[in-house]
Amino acid sequence: MRVTGVERGTTPSGDEFSLLEIEMAQRYRHAVGSADPFYRGLEDGVLRATECPECGSTWFPPRRFCDAHLSETRWYDLPGTGRIVAATRVHSPPPFGGIEVPYILASIRLDGVDGGITHRVACDEIPERGTVVAVRFSNRQPAHPLLRIAFAVEEVTA
Amino acid sequence: MLVVGVGMTPFVGFRADASVRDMVVEAARAALLDAGTRAGSVDMGVAAYESDHFNRQMSLGHILQDSVGLVGKPTLRVEGGGATGALAIRTAVMAIASGSARSVLVFGGETNGKSVDRATATEILAMSADFEWETPVFGTFAAPYALMITEHMRRYGTTAEQFAEIAVKNRRIALDNPDGHKGMSITVEDVRASAPLSDPYRLFDASLLSDGAAAVLLSTREWAERYSSTFRERPPVAVLGSGSSTDHPRLSDRSDELFPHFAAKRRAARDAYRMAGIDDPAHEIDVAEVYDSFSGAELQAYEDLGLCQVGEGGPAAAEGRFDLGGQVWVNTSGGLLGRGSAVGATGIAQAVEVTRQLRGEVSGARAVPDAKLGITDTHAGVGSLAVVNVFGRTP
Repeated sequence: MRVTGVERGTTPSGDEFSLLEIEMAQRYRHAVGSADPFYRGLEDGVLRATECPECGSTWFPPRRFCDAHLSETRWYDLPGTGRIVAATRVHSPPPFGGIEVPYILASIRLDGVDGGITHRVACDEIPERGTVVAVRFSNRQPAHPLLRIAFAVEEVTA
Repeated sequence: MLVVGVGMTPFVGFRADASVRDMVVEAARAALLDAGTRAGSVDMGVAAYESDHFNRQMSLGHILQDSVGLVGKPTLRVEGGGATGALAIRTAVMAIASGSARSVLVFGGETNGKSVDRATATEILAMSADFEWETPVFGTFAAPYALMITEHMRRYGTTAEQFAEIAVKNRRIALDNPDGHKGMSITVEDVRASAPLSDPYRLFDASLLSDGAAAVLLSTREWAERYSSTFRERPPVAVLGSGSSTDHPRLSDRSDELFPHFAAKRRAARDAYRMAGIDDPAHEIDVAEVYDSFSGAELQAYEDLGLCQVGEGGPAAAEGRFDLGGQVWVNTSGGLLGRGSAVGATGIAQAVEVTRQLRGEVSGARAVPDAKLGITDTHAGVGSLAVVNVFGRTP
């Protein structure tokens, strides 16, 4: 932390004030934790979810333990397809960057799992509810590992 | 259980002359003076604030406890995103109901305004989405709110012009609120012509980031009779109910059926109304402070709070059913869109507004005639945690 300046002034109602200009920078080593197999899967070109060995409940985003049985879940691969629930055109970039604005963001119900993801869809117009999409993997080093993927429109259902 | 004192600072874009603790002290002092009592008589403090990052202070709760003159008494810091202030009031209600305290001063504040530059504010706010699964793909809450209202529009025929009416209404009302951050006289066309955030939302559909603080003093009737010198001077206001519930924070985890709705808000309202004995909220409630983080969120809340039928929020907004003089007067303060939002203070400021309405202390066009029953509504995220508190005039 450091103080880079002091500003003094008077408010419109006549109160005098002083402001310290302060800079702080935070750096972290952020553990992805139990999502590690998911992140490794992104580099292998596969979306991974988890399943309870006792009741068959499935999770995406993956959970390490079954809510109902508290048993350790197992990992499996998803087909990578899904269906759009709702979509929007976003006009500001995400905080890690890596996406040009404007871009299409959609809440996607994924096939093969009870769950979904909100992520970018590579298209120009806002797709309608029910639009089928499929995951695409990029080989470029992304601004954030989660941006290694985006979705592409497969077919439009009425 | 009674509201014996209320106070707040005006909400503004930037308080160059006050730190967050100065503002909380101003609000707490106003609430104590309003109650006609002193901190020394109060049993407990509850501090409400959301963000160490915005306030530049960890463990702010017990620092504020000292600043407002409650050192030596128990304290608790409460955080619940956008619902922080209302959750702090609910916590005080539980403390008094449990017998742990006879009186609780609830104080909250936040410096969400221009003490941080825009880029820093955007970065901090992005951390209130799910940092593991959402923050990397969208940076502001405009996006998930836009996804919800998009489905509401598809399903019920709601239009962007209908929720723009709410942005116009709340900014117009805030012009008459001396505590308001930014009242404006604008039109639906102005809203639609403002900068796009996340379609269909535009800049004027989004609420304000403010500096501000608010406080309320709650107590038992016995405590009020003994320690509040102003208690007998005006109609007492009671806390009649409080409800809270939760929902999946990530939209993609929610069911298709409830995607455009705030399910946690429905449950919180149901429980709060049951506790307060409200059977027909649309006809019994006189005044409501509703969480208008985005204009469309107020429209959705009309439905989820039971003030109109599901799917009716759009037409209701367009015909002014919840404007001043309407069936229920919604956001007589100007709401987050006009009065502004300093997160930790917001739910408390709503209670300040409703209490003043129930006491008949609000003047001019904002004054609800003979208001008997009021609610406050806030939520965190896009409805992942909801709190509804009910207040009423009591004999």
